[in-house]
Amino acid sequence: MSAKNLSDYLIAFFIIICLNFLLPRTMPGDPLAAIYGEEALLSLTPELKRDLAAQFGLDKPFFEQFLFYLLSLLKGNLGYSYHYEVPVSELLLRAAPWTMLLIGSALIVSTVLGYVLGLESGWQRGNSADKGLLTGLMFLSGFPDFFVGIILLLLFGVSLGLFPISGALTPYMGLTGWSLIKDVLWHLLLPLTSLVIAEVSAIFLLVRSTAVTVLGEPFILTAKAKGIRKRHIKFRHVGKNSLLPLFTRTGIRVGHMITGALFVEIVFAYPGIGLLIYNSVMARDYPVLQGVFFLVAVAVIVCNLAVDLLYRTIDPRVR
Amino acid sequence: MLEIKDFNFSYSNSPVLRGINLNLKKSEILALTGESGAGKTTLALAIMGLLSGQASGSIIYEGRNLLALPQTELWNYRWNKISMVFQDLEGALNPVLTVGKQVMEPMLEHRLLSIEKAKEKTKKLFKYVGLPEGFCSAYPHNLSGGEKQRVLIAMALSNDPEILIFDEPTSAVDAITRLEIIKIIKKASQNKAILLITHDLTTAYQLADRAAVMYAGRIMELGTGKEIFKEPKHPYTRGLLRSYPTLSTTKDLQGIPGKQEIIERGCPFQNRCTQKIADCGKKTPRLKQFGGRQIACLRGGIVSLLEGENIFKKFGETTALKGVDISLAEGETLALVGESGSGKTTLAKCIMGLEKPDGGKIIFQGKETKERNKELYKDLQLVFQNPRECISHRLNVLETVMEPLNIQRIGTFNERKENAKKALKNVELSASDQFLGMYAHHLSGGEIQRIAIARALVLNPRVLIADEPTSSLDASIQAKIVKLLLKLQEEKGLAMIFITHDIALARKISDRIVVLLGGEKVEEGPTGEIFAKPRHPYTRDLLKTAPNFSPETAYLKPPKNRPEGACVYASRCAEAGEICIIKRPAIFKVGMQKVRCHLYSRNEKEVLHAVNTNRNHTVSL
Repeated sequence: MSAKNLSDYLIAFFIIICLNFLLPRTMPGDPLAAIYGEEALLSLTPELKRDLAAQFGLDKPFFEQFLFYLLSLLKGNLGYSYHYEVPVSELLLRAAPWTMLLIGSALIVSTVLGYVLGLESGWQRGNSADKGLLTGLMFLSGFPDFFVGIILLLLFGVSLGLFPISGALTPYMGLTGWSLIKDVLWHLLLPLTSLVIAEVSAIFLLVRSTAVTVLGEPFILTAKAKGIRKRHIKFRHVGKNSLLPLFTRTGIRVGHMITGALFVEIVFAYPGIGLLIYNSVMARDYPVLQGVFFLVAVAVIVCNLAVDLLYRTIDPRVR
Repeated sequence: MLEIKDFNFSYSNSPVLRGINLNLKKSEILALTGESGAGKTTLALAIMGLLSGQASGSIIYEGRNLLALPQTELWNYRWNKISMVFQDLEGALNPVLTVGKQVMEPMLEHRLLSIEKAKEKTKKLFKYVGLPEGFCSAYPHNLSGGEKQRVLIAMALSNDPEILIFDEPTSAVDAITRLEIIKIIKKASQNKAILLITHDLTTAYQLADRAAVMYAGRIMELGTGKEIFKEPKHPYTRGLLRSYPTLSTTKDLQGIPGKQEIIERGCPFQNRCTQKIADCGKKTPRLKQFGGRQIACLRGGIVSLLEGENIFKKFGETTALKGVDISLAEGETLALVGESGSGKTTLAKCIMGLEKPDGGKIIFQGKETKERNKELYKDLQLVFQNPRECISHRLNVLETVMEPLNIQRIGTFNERKENAKKALKNVELSASDQFLGMYAHHLSGGEIQRIAIARALVLNPRVLIADEPTSSLDASIQAKIVKLLLKLQEEKGLAMIFITHDIALARKISDRIVVLLGGEKVEEGPTGEIFAKPRHPYTRDLLKTAPNFSPETAYLKPPKNRPEGACVYASRCAEAGEICIIKRPAIFKVGMQKVRCHLYSRNEKEVLHAVNTNRNHTVSL
């Protein structure tokens, strides 16, 4: 990891912080109105308004406001939720682990599944197996994730009653240890499946097309000439090279998935960031939305950084 | 060791390889060369069993036809028996695996060695190809082109195959690495059969025991490497060599006219061949034995247009030509060089039938010319030394240039006029009506000479004998005329006898040089060879007098009387001994040259003199 790359990430991070600071201030009208919404402000007394302005440092010059904002960020102060009446950071900390669990597992499952199927499909390009996979996955990818979620919910949750229809764990059971894990996984399965179905085809297509390209590379001919068995050519030569664009794509997918999970979380009433966004939008809870925006941006940067680091281990060319 | 018999291959019904018959022998390097698209790599991949298409014929190895084997059995042959160094340096190695692993891979895959032993062998192989052991853990992108090439060779050697195919091993590396690679290939060839695919003709020459020249999926010429590249006999091979710049050829680069096209019927090279006859469009030539090599050409390779045998000419008491042999092939330039009075012009006149030789015979296009007639001059034309004397002052420019057409009765008046105008434009002269109406005395010497050249070329002759055609011209016009002649040679196969005393000019335009002195041929050979290694003392002296920008001035003794029965150069030769005055030397073959000089005699007594003269001259036989 060169200093140059690291500084790039720091620059991106700084820009995000600045945007988070500037956006509400560039909106027309009263910044407090932007933060709390017109309705909330109507019920405020002028004294309360002044207090709030002082609390946010809105009565100070622009530059001082920026410094004040940076200092609060450093302290972990992301503002105060008008709707939930708790600090934003607390809300985020409560919701983030569930989203991380959902997205993380969906990312892993869809990537692995897409990779394996894509590689097989690319290897057998033109065969019936390839055609079947291609048609099937294209068909599935045609459904939006929330629609898949609703279908799964209705079928397995409501009709068959095999899975819970809402939440991330059974409340008030006081479960611990292994049974807690089982309960969490049981709740996770349906939202996870809908996300995977929505995500897997993109990965499948990417890996398939990469594999087809790699198969045309001269070193594959070399491997064949060397008398390498097909199985080994497939995994050692085609497989490893097909991983590369997959990694790049995964970094980009993370940000998209956090917001994409929103619908699935709503459908399953899964208490993650998506549901938080939804509720905050409904309540016009701007500080929470700002906080989510900040969190998602940071998460994307961190994931990209991680992908960059990982990429170095699989592609010797960028070391 | 490997035998390819009547092998045909096509991709979706368009033939790529046709009627290939080749065999590889142990400890022998067979070079396969030709333009891209000739099917060289396809043949290599066919041997490896890596092609999918329609194949017929057989590729026999260890008594089994590889074409008939299923993939599962071919697996045993791959890399264990036959391996290949692929052409595409950048792509042939997997970018995400270390090169050591890739070299080791086939040993482990075929379960020949344990991992430890394979690692050891990999290190040895790296050493063998001149790479440090540490490179085993490098990735392809860490390596330079030359290093990658070495890795590919190490990889090909990993399972110690019997047959090794190199596909363009030197095309992507620098000159120094090229020599290293050549060394490695030579080393590897000691106990293997090697097929070397290359368009680099010098590499092929240096390495090949035998060479095959391919064109449009067929083998056009097959013979020993040294012969094919030194004396090509197929017009295509000659074209390849003429387009290929080397330090050992001095003639200006010439290409092959036209481009490779798919030809359904007849010779595949017919559309680019300058000696095509009607049959070439009908029959497909097969490889046939012609004097020590195989040539696929209906005409038996490059045809000889002119043969002169033992030509004698006397003018009263003086013998102008003392039994000179001369030959000229289609599309060839022969330079006749030598000082004034050496017999150059007389020889030309004898060939032209303008002087009747007192002995010997002259064969033109397969027929002996006994007397001059109209028919002869359709294909044989001459440009004289003194243009003012050879152009009638009664004819204007148009009439002069049109005259040969009138005599041969070719075309209508208007066609003749158009042809004449074209010929004039070719020699950089005006074709305006005003110019066409001019007479010789209106024109400069240079213009008249160009008119003479236009007149000679207006008939599209097969052979042009040019006697100092450019000595009266400015250097810039001379350059243009020479380029025009070479272009005509490239496109139409014009053969030329170029008589000149300008050695520097002869060096740039001729394929072969004949050095005449006192009516005798003292040295003959390929132009590049003559300039690199002049053998006859006279040739050496002559080269010193050639135009150059060196500050030294050479001096050549003026000719003296030449007694009968002595060497013609004896009186002036710095290396002459007693024998040279007593005995006329015979002709000796030295390298690629024929030399009439005692220095090269095998007879001990005669050699003695050469040693006795005790000069700093190495006499190589």
